[in-house]
Amino acid sequence: MDAGLLGQYIFNGLMLGIIYAMVAVGFTLFFGVLDVIKFSHGDVLTVGAFVGLATYHGLDALGVTSAPVLALSLTLAAMLAMGALGALMARWIVLPLRNAPAINVLLITLMAGTVLRELIRLFYPAGANPKPFPRLLPTDSLTMGSFTLRLDNVILLSVGAAAIVGVHLLITRSRLGLAIRAAAQDSETARIMGINFQMVVLVTFALGSALAALAGVTAGLYYSEINFGMGLLLGVIGFSAAVVGGLGNLYGAVLGGFLFAALQTLGAVWFSVPAYKDVFAFALVILIMAWRPTGLIAEKTAERV
Amino acid sequence: MIDLRVHELTTAYDRADVLHGVSLHARAGEITCILGSNGAGKSTLIRSVLGLTPPRHGSIRLGDEELTGRPTHRIVALGLACIPEGRKVFPRMSVRENLLAGAYRVRARDDIRDSLEQVFRTFPRLKERAEQLAGTMSGGEQAMLSIGRGLMSRPKMLVIDEPSLGLSPLFVKENFNVIRRVNDGGVSVLLVEQNVKQTLAISHRGYVLAQGRVVAQGDADVLRENPEVRRAYFG
Repeated sequence: MDAGLLGQYIFNGLMLGIIYAMVAVGFTLFFGVLDVIKFSHGDVLTVGAFVGLATYHGLDALGVTSAPVLALSLTLAAMLAMGALGALMARWIVLPLRNAPAINVLLITLMAGTVLRELIRLFYPAGANPKPFPRLLPTDSLTMGSFTLRLDNVILLSVGAAAIVGVHLLITRSRLGLAIRAAAQDSETARIMGINFQMVVLVTFALGSALAALAGVTAGLYYSEINFGMGLLLGVIGFSAAVVGGLGNLYGAVLGGFLFAALQTLGAVWFSVPAYKDVFAFALVILIMAWRPTGLIAEKTAERV
Repeated sequence: MIDLRVHELTTAYDRADVLHGVSLHARAGEITCILGSNGAGKSTLIRSVLGLTPPRHGSIRLGDEELTGRPTHRIVALGLACIPEGRKVFPRMSVRENLLAGAYRVRARDDIRDSLEQVFRTFPRLKERAEQLAGTMSGGEQAMLSIGRGLMSRPKMLVIDEPSLGLSPLFVKENFNVIRRVNDGGVSVLLVEQNVKQTLAISHRGYVLAQGRVVAQGDADVLRENPEVRRAYFG
């Protein structure tokens, strides 16, 4: 294989990795602060992508033509809407079950995800069909041999990376992040310090869900197409990435996301049938989990985030 | 200076640890101790005051403010701080971050910096280890950190739950000296302890709890001579 092709595979892998990492960070945040798995996360991503698409059509109908304005507006609209949806779900579905077995939260969010998915299919105009997603980013490209670097992909990759770094800085450097970490490590002592635990949970879920919306919009802009079921696989992959990395650990989620993308890319290179790449990646995830049951970056004595 | 009045408090909690109509008064500017053996209801009393286990009946007043029915973070905002049983430092945070968590409700950066310096003066060891993860420190150091964290918000009322538990006698003595100095600075203290002798030595007044009821109360030197206390603790 020549260097250009190798570079292309690596870059495509990075693109997938950043999308997976954004989803995985959400799973890891929710688990860190509340010890729950929120299985509707992938479907929140889907709804975010559709909110973005609807915003685009709305602005388009209003006569907005500037591509940067459209791209920025639909991304912000998707993130704000999903941030609000995430907080609402935390307030009305997840927190009420706080003292119930964790399996109940898993089940109820699984059902909530199905509701979201089916709502799109039933009520979004022709929601059962795949929807073309507008190409709003500049597609200038730089070609070196068999390697093509497209500006839109570079932008998507940079925005995703900036979002993850931003979340990391928020968690490690800000007063809010201090509250989130305190609540994650010992919720009762956090309350004794004067931290409003419920507020911390809502903010964390809003943050993770906004990140999922960004991942959904990124996927839409990257593939130029979205559909009501896109969040199913992305959710499962993001969850696997978070678990492989070490659930509750931010670095682990990012590592897991890029690892899964790398495995998929390898699978795509080695097997001529494209569908095998997921079989290959998930099979290796199973092997990794057998080798390191607590994830690659293992929790030390139940300490997280 | 501020006082804490508990009136006819009844709290049910896990069935095992229950308060039946407990009344007590932690006077402004004093150290008031709560003595009692395991299961007497001391921890439940603290949890009720902090709003972690809401009481079934009765009232708890900090100064003029009723605490029952308020969430914990609002109670703390009234000027109450707690040094919880078992230190409860945040293990994966640095010493400095733990202290900042203690000042979570303080908005003024200057006040936070002053409090930090004051805690570092009181416990120079914490300054040396400011960037170390709290979970990697010894029990004695964690106890210092827990006390320092409780002081970061400059509380008017400090609730301290079993500060001597699991510490060597030397550390216990040091920590009790710190508590006394804090009290000298005008902070009212509610001190829950099993270590009767040293506790009564620094307290102004005390209450003895047994099976969820107040069985003895009075000035510290009177309590020391109380036959029930003597029989139970001094043998």
